[in-house]
Amino acid sequence: MFLGRVIGEVWATKKVDDLRSMRLLVVESLDEHREPGAPKVTPVVCADTLGAALGQHVVVAFGKAARVAALGADGDFAFEAAVVGIVDDFDVPSAPASWRKEPV
Amino acid sequence: MLIGTVVGNLWATKKDPTLIGLRFLVIRPFTSDGRESAETLVAVDTLGAGIGERVLVVFGRAARHCIGRSHDIGFQTAVSAIIDKMELADGRVIGSTKDHDQSVKR
Repeated sequence: MFLGRVIGEVWATKKVDDLRSMRLLVVESLDEHREPGAPKVTPVVCADTLGAALGQHVVVAFGKAARVAALGADGDFAFEAAVVGIVDDFDVPSAPASWRKEPV
Repeated sequence: MLIGTVVGNLWATKKDPTLIGLRFLVIRPFTSDGRESAETLVAVDTLGAGIGERVLVVFGRAARHCIGRSHDIGFQTAVSAIIDKMELADGRVIGSTKDHDQSVKR
């Protein structure tokens, strides 16, 4: 699981059936050591059933935890990452300012 | 799950019997700064994605579910969707291929 920020949304017409009507968000993890303007992160695409908005901080889970949280049942679903919480606030004294900054 | 661009096809004759008949794609993950990622990954494709198209890649059990051959197969990465559009908070609109990318002023 990780703390991240919603940086985008994805749409696809041609997809596996059980992704139909599933909202897909692009989430970038917040990394304490990442220098601003520095590199290359591969953002994670997550299923979202909570309705997180662009720019919001979210908690993302992987694997079975993601499927249970998003659809309430484990089973065969074609995703393995999901938003499991929308963050109200966090207190991380060592966090760089970029954690708070709205995405550019 | 991640977004990637299909950069090639891959064939293997000598392989695990559970993989016979599957189509393999070489995919380059999308990076948030827009540059091409250095690494690539291989995913099974059941949707018919072509070179240059942007796709959604899933891993593990979700991938085996997409491949649709029960869970006892020797692969763990699959294409689960072909992307139409991805809108990013910084105003970039990532299209289905590189030619469809645009930048929208906010």
